[in-house]
Amino acid sequence: MKTRIAIPLAIATATLLCACALPAAAFDFGNLDDIKGALKKVEKVGQQVKTATGDIPQSKEIEMGGGIASNLLGAAPLVNNAAVQKYVNDVGRWLAMQTERPDLPWQFGVLDDDDVNAFAAPGGYVFITKGLLMHMHNEAELAGVLAHEISHVLRKHHLKAIKKGARTELMVEFLSEATKDKGSNANLVKLANAGTQLYARGLDKEDEFEADRMGVVIAARAGYDPYGLPAVLQTLETLNPKDSKLALMFKTHPALQDRLNLLSQEMGGGRFDRFQDQPDLTARFDSVMGIK
Amino acid sequence: MKSQAWGKSPLRALAASLALACGLLIGGMAHAGETAYTVRPTDLKSRYYTDAQTLRSLPTNTRVEILGRRGGWNHIKVEGKTGWVKMLSLRLGQAPQGRGDNGFSTLFNVAATGGTGSTSTTGVRGLSEEKLNNPHPNPQQLAKMHTLEVSKAQAERFAQAGHLKPEHMDYLPAPAK
Repeated sequence: MKTRIAIPLAIATATLLCACALPAAAFDFGNLDDIKGALKKVEKVGQQVKTATGDIPQSKEIEMGGGIASNLLGAAPLVNNAAVQKYVNDVGRWLAMQTERPDLPWQFGVLDDDDVNAFAAPGGYVFITKGLLMHMHNEAELAGVLAHEISHVLRKHHLKAIKKGARTELMVEFLSEATKDKGSNANLVKLANAGTQLYARGLDKEDEFEADRMGVVIAARAGYDPYGLPAVLQTLETLNPKDSKLALMFKTHPALQDRLNLLSQEMGGGRFDRFQDQPDLTARFDSVMGIK
Repeated sequence: MKSQAWGKSPLRALAASLALACGLLIGGMAHAGETAYTVRPTDLKSRYYTDAQTLRSLPTNTRVEILGRRGGWNHIKVEGKTGWVKMLSLRLGQAPQGRGDNGFSTLFNVAATGGTGSTSTTGVRGLSEEKLNNPHPNPQQLAKMHTLEVSKAQAERFAQAGHLKPEHMDYLPAPAK
C-alpha cells in the first residue's frame, strides 16, 4: 500500500520541481512567487493522492456511478414500462430517505433481462432485473432488495473495490479533472469499465452480509414488513440452482444459506417484534405488476 | 399496465389458489401453501410472539406446510396441528433427507420448475460476464433513467398512500464470530 502511494507522489513532486526550476532559472534572482506557487501545487497533488486513497468527493462518486450505470444499461436496457419504473423509483427513493445519504440523486431502474440479479453503482444508481422482480410477491420484498442495494451505495462498497483495483495515478488524474463532457473523459471511461468488470467478479462477502443486515433495518425504518429481503432469499433457494439465469448472482454472492443463517441470528432476540404489523403492500405491488 | 407484460408466476398462482381454497387469509400470502422444513430445532408457538406459549419443540428437518406469515413468523401446519414458528428457522421445499411424495409435493416441484426451468445459454445474453467484462455504454438509456428520478415530496406522497410510517432503528452490529 505504501509504495502505491509513494511512487506517484514522488513522480508528481519531481515533475513539479523540474517545472519550477525552469522559470526560476530564467530570472537572475529566484522569484518567491514561483516557489510559493510550486509549493501550492505540491500541496494540491499531495491532497489529490490522499483523496485517491481516502474519501472521493461526492460529485466524482456520482460521475463514476453514471459511467458504470451507462455500461450496465449497455448490457441490458430499461424495461419499457413507465408505471413499473416509476413505482420502483417511488419505493427506492422513500427507502433512501430513511438513510444517512438522503440527498444523493437516487435513481432506480428495472433492467429488461431475465437474469435474476440486482446491482448498485456509486452515487445512488440501483438496478433490479425483470427476472428478479418477477419472483417477488409484494412491495416489502421489493423494498428489501432495493434496501440491500442502497446499503452498498451508503457504505461505498463498489467505490472501495474499484479504488483497490485501479491504478492510483488513474484515480489521481480522474479526481484532478474538472467535470466536463462525460463521454469524452478517458479516465472516467477507464474507471467505469474497471468498475463494471467488478459486477462479473462480485464484492467482498462481508460487504454482502453487511448490506443484508442494513437492508432489513432500512426497510423497517421505511415502515415495511422487514422480512421482505429474507423472504426473497428463501424464494431464490427454491429455484433450480443450475438455471443459467441464476449463475451470475450465485457466483457473485455468498451462499443463500449463509445469508439466511446470518439474518436469522441478526434479526433474532425479538429485535423486530415491534415491526410485526408493518405492511407488505401486496395489493399495490400486484396492481402495478398487472397481477390480478 | 397490461397483465400479459408480467404474467403470474406459476408458483405464485399455485400458492395463492391453494391458500384461498383452504380459506387461509392470515398475514402475508407469500409462500402460503408451500412445503418447508426446519433447519434448526425450533419452538412451535401458539402465537406469533417470542414470549407466546411453546406448544412443542420441532427437531431439525421437520416437514411443515406454510399457511401464512406475520412479520418474522410463519403460521404452519405440522402433523395435523397448527402453530407459529420463526420464519428464518424454515427453508422452503422438501427437507434434504426423506423427501416425501404426497401429491402436493410433486405438483409443487412441477410448478416450481415449470416457469423457471433450466435453459442452456447460447450466444451472449444481456447481463453476461462477457458483456460486463467488455462494457459498452448506453448514454441514451442513462438519460432516460435520469428522467425517472422521483423527488422526496413525491416519495412522501407515495409512502402516505401506502400507510408507510417512518420508524427509528439503529443498524445491527455484525454478529460475533
